[in-house]
Amino acid sequence: MNDAPKRLSMEDFDRLCRRRLASGAPVAAYEGPLARHVADGDRRLLKLQYDDSPAALRLWSFLLTEEERLHAARAAGKKIVGAMKDLGTVPVMAYALPNLVAFYPDGAWWTPCVMELSEGLFGLAQSLGLGDAMCPVRAMAAAFVNRAHFPIPDLLTCSVGATCDDFSAVAQRLESLGHPILWWEMPARRRPDAGEPAVTLPGGFSAPESQVAVVRSELERIRAALADLAGLPLGDAQLAAGIREANRVRALLADLRRLAYTAELCPMPALEMLIAEMLAIHFCSDREESVEVLAGLLAEVRRRTECKEGVLPAGAARVFWVNPVADLRVMNLLEDCGARLCGTEFLFCHALDTIPTDLPPMEALARMALADPMVGPSADRAARIVRDAREFGAEAVVISRIPGASHCAMEGGVIGDIVRQQIGLPVVELEVPPLADPLWPTLKTRLEALVETVLERRKR
Amino acid sequence: MICAGIDGGSRAIKIVLMDCATCKVLASGVRDQGVHHERLAKELLAELLKKEKLTRRKIARTVATGYTRNSITFADATVTEITCHAAGVRYAVPDAATVIEIGGQDSKLLRLSPDGTVHDFAMNDRCAAGTGRFLEVVAARLGVGFEHLGAMARAAKSPSPISSMCVVFAETEIIGLLASDAKPADIVAGVQASIASRVAAMIGREARPPVVFTGGVAMIPGMVDALHRVLKVSVKVAPKPQMTGALGAAILACRQAAADGAASKCSARCYPANKRNEGR
Repeated sequence: MNDAPKRLSMEDFDRLCRRRLASGAPVAAYEGPLARHVADGDRRLLKLQYDDSPAALRLWSFLLTEEERLHAARAAGKKIVGAMKDLGTVPVMAYALPNLVAFYPDGAWWTPCVMELSEGLFGLAQSLGLGDAMCPVRAMAAAFVNRAHFPIPDLLTCSVGATCDDFSAVAQRLESLGHPILWWEMPARRRPDAGEPAVTLPGGFSAPESQVAVVRSELERIRAALADLAGLPLGDAQLAAGIREANRVRALLADLRRLAYTAELCPMPALEMLIAEMLAIHFCSDREESVEVLAGLLAEVRRRTECKEGVLPAGAARVFWVNPVADLRVMNLLEDCGARLCGTEFLFCHALDTIPTDLPPMEALARMALADPMVGPSADRAARIVRDAREFGAEAVVISRIPGASHCAMEGGVIGDIVRQQIGLPVVELEVPPLADPLWPTLKTRLEALVETVLERRKR
Repeated sequence: MICAGIDGGSRAIKIVLMDCATCKVLASGVRDQGVHHERLAKELLAELLKKEKLTRRKIARTVATGYTRNSITFADATVTEITCHAAGVRYAVPDAATVIEIGGQDSKLLRLSPDGTVHDFAMNDRCAAGTGRFLEVVAARLGVGFEHLGAMARAAKSPSPISSMCVVFAETEIIGLLASDAKPADIVAGVQASIASRVAAMIGREARPPVVFTGGVAMIPGMVDALHRVLKVSVKVAPKPQMTGALGAAILACRQAAADGAASKCSARCYPANKRNEGR
C-alpha cells in the first residue's frame, strides 16, 4: 500500500477487506467484512473509523469472532474457563493446558455498547436486580441468562476482595442464578511496613511477602481446579511454558506501545491500540492467534514509523488516556479533536508487564496478580501513570470514567491531583457512558479545549 | 481592521466587535438564544454592524465559541469557551489566576498560567445543579423574575439548606420548603449557596487568587457573595461578565488575523505578556 495510512468508515474498511479476500492474499479463516457483525446487531461498528491496514482488518475480525471461537472450542471438546474479574492471571494458567480455553465473561459489558442497547442485556440485568446504578459489567449476568453470546463455561473463577465491589455483587448474583463460582481472595495491596519482609512486583511496586503468600495459596486452589477440569496435571513445567507464551504476547504489546506512543507521527489510531491492549487480558480466547495478530500490528507500526507515515496529521496533541471507554467512538473523537494517544492505563497494566521467569511460576504469577492496579492504592496507580506519561512524552492526561463503575468513580481526582502536582500536565476528566450520544457536544468541547491548552503550552 | 467574536451560548448569543489596531471593543450585543442559532447570530451581527455604520467586509476574521459554535458556519474558526473565557478574562483582569464561569448549562473552572493562557480546567455539565439552570428553575417555581433573585437573596435571613444534588430533586425539595413556610428569599439564598458549593467541589483544595467570576450567572447579585463564602477567598466579578466569552473570541480572532497577516497591527493588549512582540 503506497497511500498514506488513514482512518476509514466501516463501508470503506469492508471494501478494503473484500478486495483483500478476493486478492488471494493469505488471510486468517476468521477474517471478513465487519458488515456481518452489524447484521448480528453490532450497530456501533457503523459509526466507528478504522485503520486501513491489513493488520487492523485482522485485529477487528479476531476481536469480533471471539464468541464463535469459544463455541467452536466447546464443539471440539475443549473445556471452557470463565476467568472473571481477574485481568490476566488465570488465563495464563489455563492456557498452559492444551485442552482448556479461558475467556473473560466480564467483557460482555461491551456487548450492549456495540449493539447500542438493542439486544436488551441491560434490561435483562435490571430484571435480575442489577440496575443502572451498577457498572455496565452487569450485562455479563444477563448474557449468562439469555445464553445468546458466549457458551456457559465449565468452570467459573472470580477474584474477590480488593478487586471491585460492583463486580463482586454482579458475580454473587450470577452464582445465585445457579452458576457456581470458584472464588479466590485478592487482598488490598499495601506498602510493606518498616522491616517487614517484602518483594518487588512487576511494574516496580513492592508488597509484603505475606500478601504474596496469600495470593499464591489462592492461586494454588485455582491450579488444582484447572487440572481437575482438564484431567491433566498442571505442574511447574507446564506453568513456566505458559508464562513464556504469555510473555510473548506481553513483549509484543510492549514493543507496540513503545513504538506507537513515542513515534513522531502517530502510526496506529487510538481505537486499534485500545483493542490490541485488551488482548493481554485473556488473548481473545486464542493465545497463539493473539501473537500473530499483534505481530502483524507491530510490523505495520514499525513499517509506518520507519517510512515516517502517520495516520493523523503531524503535531497532534499527545494524550495519555486512563481507563477504558464504554463508547468506543470516543477514541475516534480524541483524534478528530486534534489529539493522538500517547500512553494508556486501562486498569490492567499489570497484564502488560513481563511475568518474572526467574522465580517459581506460582510465585511469579502471585506477584503479577498482586501488581493489579485495581487492588492497590490510587496513589500507586497515579505513580505508574506519571512514570509512563513521562516515558511516552504525553502532554495531557484524560481520565475517563464509566458511570456506575465503583473502582474508578473516586480515584480520578486523586490521580488528577498527583499528575498535576508531579508533572504539571493538564488533566481532564470525562464520563463516558455506553452510549455517549447525549454527551457528545460536551465531550467534544472538553477534548478540544484540552488540545487548545496543549497547543498554547507548546508556544511557551 | 475589525474582528468579531461570537459566543453562541445555551441561553444567549453574545457578539463583540473589536478594533484590532487598538484592541478596543467597538460594539457588543446580546440576544436570547433560539432554535436557529446561525440566523440569530447573523441578525445580531448585522444589527451591531449597522449601529457602527460598518459592513461585513470590514470584518477581517470571526471566531465562534460556545455551545452552538459549530452552527455558526460563517465564522472563520471555532475555539472552545474555555480558551475564549481565559482570553477574555486576561484582557479585563490581567492578573487573574483562577476563573469561575457559570453559564446557563454548565460551569467551568479555569486555572490560568502567568501568561494568561489555560493551565488546566474542569467542567461540570452533567448536572444542572451547578449552573444557571438551577436559578431559572427556582425563579419559575417561586414565580419571580430572574432579575429579582439577587435582591431576594440579599434579603435572606437564614438561607435554606438545599441538600439535593440534582435540580429535579431540588425542585421537589423547594416545594417541600415552601410547604413548610420557608421564606422565598431564604430559598433563593440556599440555592445560590448550593451552586457555589458545587463549583467549590470542582475547584478542589485550591482556588488561587485572584479569582474572577464570569458568565451570565455572575450578573446575578448574591452569587459572588455565595462563592466568596464557600471558597473563602475574594472573588471579583469580571466587567460585563456575560460578554467575556465573546470578548475572548474577538481577541483570538485579532490574534489569528495578525498571524495570517490580515491585520497589520495588533495592540499589545490582545497578547499575553510573552507574546506581545509577535504579530506586530
